[in-house]
Amino acid sequence: MEPLISMGVLALIGAAATIAGASEDLESDVGSQSNANSQVQLAPQMGYVHRIYNKAIAGEPVSNALMCTIGSTGALVLIKHFGFSPLFALVIGALIAAMVHGSYSVTAIMGREASQARFKQPIYLDLIRSHTPTIMAFAFLTTFSTEVVSYLMVYSLAHPFPFVLLCFLWGVVVGSVGSATGDVHLGAERQFQQQPFGEGLNASQSGNIVRKGESGLRNGIDNLWFCSKFGGPMTGVSFGMVVFLGTWIIVVFDPAKGVGMGWLSNLLGMVIVIVFGIWNWHIEKETRDKFGPFKEDKGEEA
Amino acid sequence: MIDLVGLIAPNILWILAIVIGGTLISISVHFIPVGGAPAAMAQATGIGTGTVMLAAGAGIAGIIAAGSVMDLNQDIGVVLGAAAVGAAVMLAATMIVATWIYAYGVGVMPVSAKVKYDPITKYRQDLYVSKGTEGHGIPTVAYVSSTIGGLLGGLGAGLAYYALMKVGTYAYAGVIPLEVHNLNLVGVVATFTIGFFFINSVIPSYNIVGTIEGFHDPKFKRWPKAAVASFLASIPLGIVAVIAVGALAFVGGL
Repeated sequence: MEPLISMGVLALIGAAATIAGASEDLESDVGSQSNANSQVQLAPQMGYVHRIYNKAIAGEPVSNALMCTIGSTGALVLIKHFGFSPLFALVIGALIAAMVHGSYSVTAIMGREASQARFKQPIYLDLIRSHTPTIMAFAFLTTFSTEVVSYLMVYSLAHPFPFVLLCFLWGVVVGSVGSATGDVHLGAERQFQQQPFGEGLNASQSGNIVRKGESGLRNGIDNLWFCSKFGGPMTGVSFGMVVFLGTWIIVVFDPAKGVGMGWLSNLLGMVIVIVFGIWNWHIEKETRDKFGPFKEDKGEEA
Repeated sequence: MIDLVGLIAPNILWILAIVIGGTLISISVHFIPVGGAPAAMAQATGIGTGTVMLAAGAGIAGIIAAGSVMDLNQDIGVVLGAAAVGAAVMLAATMIVATWIYAYGVGVMPVSAKVKYDPITKYRQDLYVSKGTEGHGIPTVAYVSSTIGGLLGGLGAGLAYYALMKVGTYAYAGVIPLEVHNLNLVGVVATFTIGFFFINSVIPSYNIVGTIEGFHDPKFKRWPKAAVASFLASIPLGIVAVIAVGALAFVGGL
């Protein structure tokens, strides 16, 4: 393919991946999934009964891989067997995945909250009614965007993997990225806003999540509102970078043109890793200087 | 009837490559700083997700890159390099964004609780650990360790993928060899490599038990046990994989 067209397709893939990453994180924020959910799960046991949606169907990578596989399989059947237009089929595939995800979410919260009855944790039916469609909407966006990424990679950039397999793989990666980046904003900041800013969560405060909102009791949609300002978009940037940079190095230096070009593309990848490393070190230095130490240095004088 | 001896004999070298790949994956997981659930609350140093999930995410990014390059260029160095770099880029992009969130969203600096001084930057660590935590964020030493882990893990995954592709495309007696672009072959090999990666990243997670900061963590010293276990587990896996993928070549790729 012409390099210029490849770059155009790649830009579209990057944009779709960014949306996938952002919506993936926000879906896990509103429904409380992944690592940060350990605190939501723990809270009633510590005596803090809450009104946060508590679904952790599985680890985020596995849960997203399931959604993306269901969506892409549905879409592929519609395209190949029923002759649907790809764009239409991808939407219907994502819709099927969102419905499956919605049903899993309801069974997950019902099961989890019911098992905590001994800690006096109620099952709020209005919470399930209001949050499940929001969760499904974000699941739809994630699945659709991941399907677009995989579809363009397979049918435009000629990636050798089958469409459904590639969609499954990107589903695992988007969950892995979302779980590693955006959830920190929910877990370390939003759930513990009553703790001083600029500290990690003291282990003695585990389970003491914020339960009161700006108006009434705090719920998952309140957490969504907060995390959509920083954690969600940043997760999008992260997954966008993973997909875009990983493919970009192959488009810029096409390994099909020879072994030398292949090595150049690998070298470019390493340059990216090193640049990010220097940036990481720079932020470390900057934050140490600005925030300062938590304790005084007593050990060195003796 | 498929001739098993005729299938395994020319592929002994590739079985060995798969076994080495599995061992490399196992070692690589020890390098990746996983903070598990506590890291999501800025309660432990490392990336805030589980061992297997993070390693698998990186390894899969490597497999996607290796598959993409293998289709264009079958040079072993280029394919393995692409797999290693693909995994390292995934981890780098994840870590830099996680650092943004720790620094600007949570307001904590990257710091390790396992060492007093960062072995690379020589920065003092213990004074910067906030009360009641085991460190937070991704300090430089953890970043470097993670890059090494990504490269090794990607290399292991790439080695397994490359070996199985070679097994599938070998010209066995009386069989028309499959092409490297054969969709069934690519699908089966990629699926097997992912499963292989999962198995070999679960084994070291018994060593890691939740969190590890990288090569400077005392838990890192346990790696030989996991490496031996993975080596042993990879031998039957390698043989079964070669039979399964080789048999696919005998039936003409379905």
